[in-house]
Amino acid sequence: MRGKQAARAGTAEAPVPIPLRYGDDPLVWACWLYYEERMTQGDIAEAMGISRATVNAYLADARERGIVNITLDPARLASLTLAQELKRHFGLRDCLVVPSDGSSRSLIDRLGIAGGQAMRKLLKSGDTLAVVWGRTVLAVGRNTKVAGLHDVTVVQATGGTAGRTDYTPDLCAAAFADAVGGRCVSIMAPMLVSSPEIARLLLAEPLLEEQFATLAEANRVVFGISSLRPNSTIHMSGLLESVSLQDYLAKNAVGVIAGRFIDERGQPVAGPLEQRTIGISLDALKAIPMRIAVAGGFDKVPAILAALRGGYVSILVTDAATARGILKADGMAGIDDKLVQRPKAETLPNTYRSHVKKFINDPQDVIEEMLAGAVAAHRKHIAPIGGSHRALVARDGPRPGKVGLVVGGGSGHEPCFLGYVGRGMADAVAVGNVFSSPPPDPILQCARAASRGRGVLFVYGNYAGDVMNFEMAAEMAEEEGIEVRTVLTTDDIASSPVEDRDGRRGVAGNVFVFKIAGAACDLGWSLEACEAVTRRANARTYTVGVALEPGSLPQTRRPSFEIGADEMEIGMGIHGEPGVARERMKTADEITDAMMDRIFAEMTAGRGDRVAVLVNSFTATPLMELYILYRRVEQRLSAKGIDIAANWVGPYCTSLDMTGASITILHLDDELDSLLNHPCETAFLRVG
Amino acid sequence: MPGNGARRLIRMFHLISAVIEREKDRLSELDGAIGDADHGITMSIGFLAVNGALARLDLDRTMPADVLSVAATAFLNAVGASTGPLYATAFKRAAQALADREEETLGLAGQAAMLGAIASGIRDRGKGERGDKTMLDVWIPAAEAAADAAARGDPEAAAWAKILQTAQAGADATRTMVATRGRAARVGPRSLGHMDPGAASAVCILGAMRDAFCEG
Repeated sequence: MRGKQAARAGTAEAPVPIPLRYGDDPLVWACWLYYEERMTQGDIAEAMGISRATVNAYLADARERGIVNITLDPARLASLTLAQELKRHFGLRDCLVVPSDGSSRSLIDRLGIAGGQAMRKLLKSGDTLAVVWGRTVLAVGRNTKVAGLHDVTVVQATGGTAGRTDYTPDLCAAAFADAVGGRCVSIMAPMLVSSPEIARLLLAEPLLEEQFATLAEANRVVFGISSLRPNSTIHMSGLLESVSLQDYLAKNAVGVIAGRFIDERGQPVAGPLEQRTIGISLDALKAIPMRIAVAGGFDKVPAILAALRGGYVSILVTDAATARGILKADGMAGIDDKLVQRPKAETLPNTYRSHVKKFINDPQDVIEEMLAGAVAAHRKHIAPIGGSHRALVARDGPRPGKVGLVVGGGSGHEPCFLGYVGRGMADAVAVGNVFSSPPPDPILQCARAASRGRGVLFVYGNYAGDVMNFEMAAEMAEEEGIEVRTVLTTDDIASSPVEDRDGRRGVAGNVFVFKIAGAACDLGWSLEACEAVTRRANARTYTVGVALEPGSLPQTRRPSFEIGADEMEIGMGIHGEPGVARERMKTADEITDAMMDRIFAEMTAGRGDRVAVLVNSFTATPLMELYILYRRVEQRLSAKGIDIAANWVGPYCTSLDMTGASITILHLDDELDSLLNHPCETAFLRVG
Repeated sequence: MPGNGARRLIRMFHLISAVIEREKDRLSELDGAIGDADHGITMSIGFLAVNGALARLDLDRTMPADVLSVAATAFLNAVGASTGPLYATAFKRAAQALADREEETLGLAGQAAMLGAIASGIRDRGKGERGDKTMLDVWIPAAEAAADAAARGDPEAAAWAKILQTAQAGADATRTMVATRGRAARVGPRSLGHMDPGAASAVCILGAMRDAFCEG
C-alpha cells in the first residue's frame, strides 16, 4: 500500500508527476490503477496526489471519452436484453433468463440453479409458499438453499400422484421445506379422483379443509408450465390415463398449470378432468401475490406464452432460447435485431459474388449425373438394380445364408451412403434427392435385391421423411414375404437431450453402425442377432459436429444458413440444422474440448476401455485441420486411459460443401471390436 | 353412372395442381424460413405427376376410389421426402373410404368421408397431432367441419365455406406454434411466427376441392 501515511482529506491537490508510461494523460493513469491494478478510488487518490472526487470524475470522463469500454459477456447481455423485453412486454414483476451457454448441463439443471437463485432473493421469513409439482420445480427445490429464514410454511398445491416419477407433489413440496427449513403441509388426497362427487366429498373433509385453508394463505407460489407435447410430464402424471388428450386439443388447449388446462390466450379450458382434480384452482393461483413460474424448452413456448397472456405469472425464470421464442411467437419479430451485439458486417461491394461456383450442368440433373458417375467409377463394387440408379446393389454382397443390409437416405452426404456398399458392409442402397429421403419404391427394390431368405435389416438415420418412406417400404416388403427389421441411427448427441435419445438424428456415426451391421450380416448371423448388435453399436456411438461455414444447395447455389464472420455453431447437423449453441470462434483445442466434454458427459468409458474414433469433415475442412482435431481427441482420450482401437480421419459423411467437422466415438466392447475389424471391401472403406 | 364422381376428382386434381403452381413461390418462401425451401417445388412436382398418371385413365370405367389410388402412387414415386408418404397415405385411405362406401357420385357425405380419411391417413403416417405445427392443423379441423356439415345436411356451398374458414384459421394458428415434427422441428424456436408451409399448401388444396365440388 503506498502513501498510507500521507495526508488525506482536505488537502489541496498536489498532483504527483505522471509516470512516463501513462503518457501525459492523468485519465489513463487513473483508469489503469482502477481497472487493471484493482485499486480503490481512495488509494488512487493517494497515489496520484489528488482528491477522491477528482478520481471519480476522471473515471467517468474516461468512460465518456471511450478510453474505457465496458463490455458484458455477449451471452449474458443477450439474456439480460431478453429478460428486459419479457418483463416489459408482459408487465412482469421480474424475469430471469439463463444464458444459452452451450454447457453440457441439461436445461432442467440450469433452470433449477437459476430458480434456486431467484428463490433466495424472493423468500422471506413468515412466507407461505405453495409448490406445484413438476420436474423443473423439483430441480429448483433441490437447488434452493436459504439459511436464516423463520416461520416459513411450504404447502403442496395439489393432491398427490402415483410415485411413478421422482417429482411427485409431496417430494417437490418436501424439497422446498427442506431448503428453507420450513414446515411442510401436504394435501392428503389424490390429485385426480374418479368422479366429481368424490372430489366434493373429499374437499368437505375437515383435514382437507384445513390443508386448503393453509393453501389459501399462500403469498408465494412456484410452478412449472407443462406443454401437451408427447414428451411432457403431463403424460407421466396419470392425468390423461382416463380421458383422451383429443378432448382438450379440440378445445385448443396448449398447456397445463397445476393440472388445469389453458388455451392459447390463457383462458381455462373446461374438460372432463376439471371437477375431478383436487388442488389449487387457476383463479386461486392467480390471486397469489407472487407467482414464480420456472419453465423452458422451446416445445413449451406456446404453453408459456399462454400462461403469460393469462396473467398467471408474475416472475418468470426461463432460458434464452425459450425467451426469444416467446417474444417471437407474440409478434416481436424484431427481437433478434435487438440482440445483435457486434456492429453489422460491412456491406460487400456490388461486385461480390452472390452464387457459389459449382461444377454442374443443369441443377435438375445433379443427382442423376452424380449417380451415373458414381456407378461408372465404382463399377467394381456397385451395380444399378433394374434400370434406375436410385437403387444400387453390391456386386459381391447378397448371398444365400446371409441377412441383407439395406441403407440409404438423401444425397449430399457422399460418400454416404453409396460409398459403403460392398462385401462386408451394406448390400444395397436407396438414394434420394439432395437432403430428401428416397421414396419407398427404390427402397423396396433394395430389399428385394438384398433378400436371400434370411431377412433384411434396414439401417438409416432418424429423420421424419426417411422413417416414413422406409416404413412404407418395409410394409411392402413384408407383404412380399421378406422379413424386415429396422435400426434407426441416433448418434448426434447435440440434437436432443439424453432423456430423448430416440429423438436424436443420425449423423457421421452412421458409418460405424453400418460397419458393425455389415460385419454381423457377413458372418451369417441371424436377423435377430444382427439387429441386436446394430442397436448396441448405435447406443454406444456418440457424435458432436461443429459448423464454421454453410454449404449450398445445387438448386440455389446460395449459402443455406447465415453465420457470422467470427461465429461457429456447435452441434450442427448434416443438413445445416441448428445446433445447441452459436458461439464465438475459438481455437481448435478449445473446440475439441467442448465437443469431447459433451461426449464424456454421456459415454461411460473408463481406464482400459477401447474406442473407435471418427474425425469427419463436412467437406470443406481439410485433412490438415482434421489431424489437428484428432491430435487433441487422442490427448483427451489418453488422459483418461482410454485406448483408441481404430481411427478414421477424413470426409466420411459430408454435407455438400459445408465447412466444419464432427467427432464420433464408438465405445467398443470385445464383440464390437472384432466386428469393426472384420474385413470389408467397399468404394470408400476397406478393412483387412 | 361410375364416371361422375371420378370426373369430379380428376377436375379436383387439375385445380389443385393449378393453385399449387400459382402459389409455388410463396410456399417455397414459407419453407425457406423454417425448412429447406423446396415445399412449393416438391408439391408442384407431385401434383404434376398425379395429373400425368390420371390422364391415362378411362373415365367411363373408373370409380372415384381408383382415381385416388392412382394419385397416391404417382405422388409418392415422384416425391419421396416426407410430403410423399403423407399425401400418398392420405389418398390411399381416401380411396379405401370411398370404396367402402361404394361411392359413385361423391356428394357431401362422400366428400366428408374423403377429408376424414385424408386427415387420419396423414395423422397415422406422420404420427402427428393437432398443435404440432404441420398440415394436420389444417386437415383435422377441416375434416371435422366437413363431418359436422354433412351430419347437419348443409348445402355444399355453405359446408365448404365453413370448411375453408376452419382450414384458414388452422393455418393461421400455426404461426404461434413450435414445430416438433418434420424438418422444421430441427429449427425449433426459429419456426415461431412463421406459418407452416404444409399447412399453407393444405389450405390451397382445400380451396381447389371447394372449387371442384361447388361448381354448380
